[in-house]
Amino acid sequence: MAADILRIAHLHKHFGGLHALNDVSLVVREGEVLALLGDNGAGKSTLIKTISGVHRPDSGEIFVRDRQVTIRSARDAIELGIETIHQDTSLAPDLSIARNLFLGREPTHMSWLGVLAPMRRDEIAAAATQLLGRVGITKRLDAAAPVRMLSGGERQSIAISRAMQFAAKVIILDEPTNNLGVEETNGVLRFIREVRDAGHSVVLVTHNLHHVFQVADRAVVMRQGQIVAGFDIALSSMVEVEAAITGADVAELLAAGAAAQGGR
Amino acid sequence: MKSSRWAKVLRLPEVSSFGILCLVVVAFVLGNRDFLSPLNISNMLAFLPELGIIALAMTLLLTAGEFDLSVGAVFALCPVTMALLVQNAGMSFTLALLIGFLIAVAVGLINGLLVTKIGISSFLVTLSMLFVVRGVALYATQGFPLKSLEVDNAFVNLLVGNAYIGPFRIYASFWWFIAFVALAIYVLDYSKAGNWISAVGSNRDAAVARGVPADRVKIWLFVITSVAAGFAGLISALRISSASPVAGTNYELEVIAMVVVGGTALMGGRGTIFGTLVGIFMLRIIRNGIVMVGVPGLAYNIFVGAIILVMLVMHALMQRRHGRA
Repeated sequence: MAADILRIAHLHKHFGGLHALNDVSLVVREGEVLALLGDNGAGKSTLIKTISGVHRPDSGEIFVRDRQVTIRSARDAIELGIETIHQDTSLAPDLSIARNLFLGREPTHMSWLGVLAPMRRDEIAAAATQLLGRVGITKRLDAAAPVRMLSGGERQSIAISRAMQFAAKVIILDEPTNNLGVEETNGVLRFIREVRDAGHSVVLVTHNLHHVFQVADRAVVMRQGQIVAGFDIALSSMVEVEAAITGADVAELLAAGAAAQGGR
Repeated sequence: MKSSRWAKVLRLPEVSSFGILCLVVVAFVLGNRDFLSPLNISNMLAFLPELGIIALAMTLLLTAGEFDLSVGAVFALCPVTMALLVQNAGMSFTLALLIGFLIAVAVGLINGLLVTKIGISSFLVTLSMLFVVRGVALYATQGFPLKSLEVDNAFVNLLVGNAYIGPFRIYASFWWFIAFVALAIYVLDYSKAGNWISAVGSNRDAAVARGVPADRVKIWLFVITSVAAGFAGLISALRISSASPVAGTNYELEVIAMVVVGGTALMGGRGTIFGTLVGIFMLRIIRNGIVMVGVPGLAYNIFVGAIILVMLVMHALMQRRHGRA
């Protein structure tokens, strides 16, 4: 079995009276796609924000490769190899693709000049072009083009590629297929498989069970701040997983399904 | 349809503004041959750096998504403070100068901290600061311009000395301006800081998520803008040997007009120093040329406003035709 790359143990987080994370424990294994499922308000987004440095947990431990870590900021998370990609907040639309790829870690000449150091523009452009050669999900993209000219799916791919470029161990995708068309969605899903095959671990947060069954290896389900179920996707059915999300009884669901078919 | 490189360049707002600038110059030359006389050009170049230096700093600030309405007031307060300290308190010129700049730094710092840490919009913060700073300048001088500012100091020559180059009388401030233009282009387009400035203005959350210290970037830019305003005020006061508490009135709006006419986005994310340069020349040339071709000086603002509107309409139309959200 693959090694654990990220391990979360007994995480708690309260917001006022709300117990947003209640004793959450979870492992992400090397080179797998783990789906994180749950209804709105189940705690998925709190969990992700805690892992990516936006929230601090009230208690609990986070391990990266068996080393206990404290994540205080987005920067900490990135340095530990955890990249979170949100649909709309991951790229600056006015900047070129190349500049977005290196945002926050621009390679420079004369680095003693600090933030005023000149960027290695050739290197940035070359690396960006090379990266785009691998990505291009719908058409060839120009590294100098501003991100605002790209479609939603292209932006997702750029953001994911950036995480890969900087050797992120765990890439968290927050609803990556929201607002995307069918073709673009398929492109992003295919890309997620490529990311996994390249050795990165992916945590996929989504509402869409079909997508989960297309790309995920495992799934965990959250409800009311707790992890309530875990599935090996190859050995599970969509009905079981859906039941875990809504809290319904599987037998009941199956019966309802049979009744519906029988009535036809 | 594949658009060529040229078509892309022609579509840039600063390029269309540059085209209009050329037309305006041609119109003025046709209207009055003396428009291009050495004397007139020298005059234009004497005034130009004063607003120009502020406009360069404002371009960076606007690119980061903020703006500063207090620059006109700082333009007055900085030299007024210096003159008062020298004339009434007998302080040495150098020390007074330093204190003048410290005041500019303080204003910028307060602007920056209130905008980033308290989260009030820069419009409201700097509008209030405009009143405060202008009020201090008026109160400190009791509303009167100070008596003639005669300072004998090597540094003064460095700031406002002048020399003839051929038939052109060029002030030292013009060379400062050229240096600042080069510096601003470098910072915005070539340095790491420029990438951060554009990113913060374009999508602050994305920049922060990548570890860019967005607040620090903005605070620095507020300070730089304020210091640029103080520096410009100082140059102006030394050139005309007088510090006035009402100097620089409405400069904030003229400076912002220069910047946006050049194609820098008012809401941040996209800044162009070349465009600002076009904007600076545009507004100064219109002010000068309109008088030269015999339009009454009081009608100046009508033309300025109309030309700004024409340019903004052009930018907007081009964006609508070619841009994608």
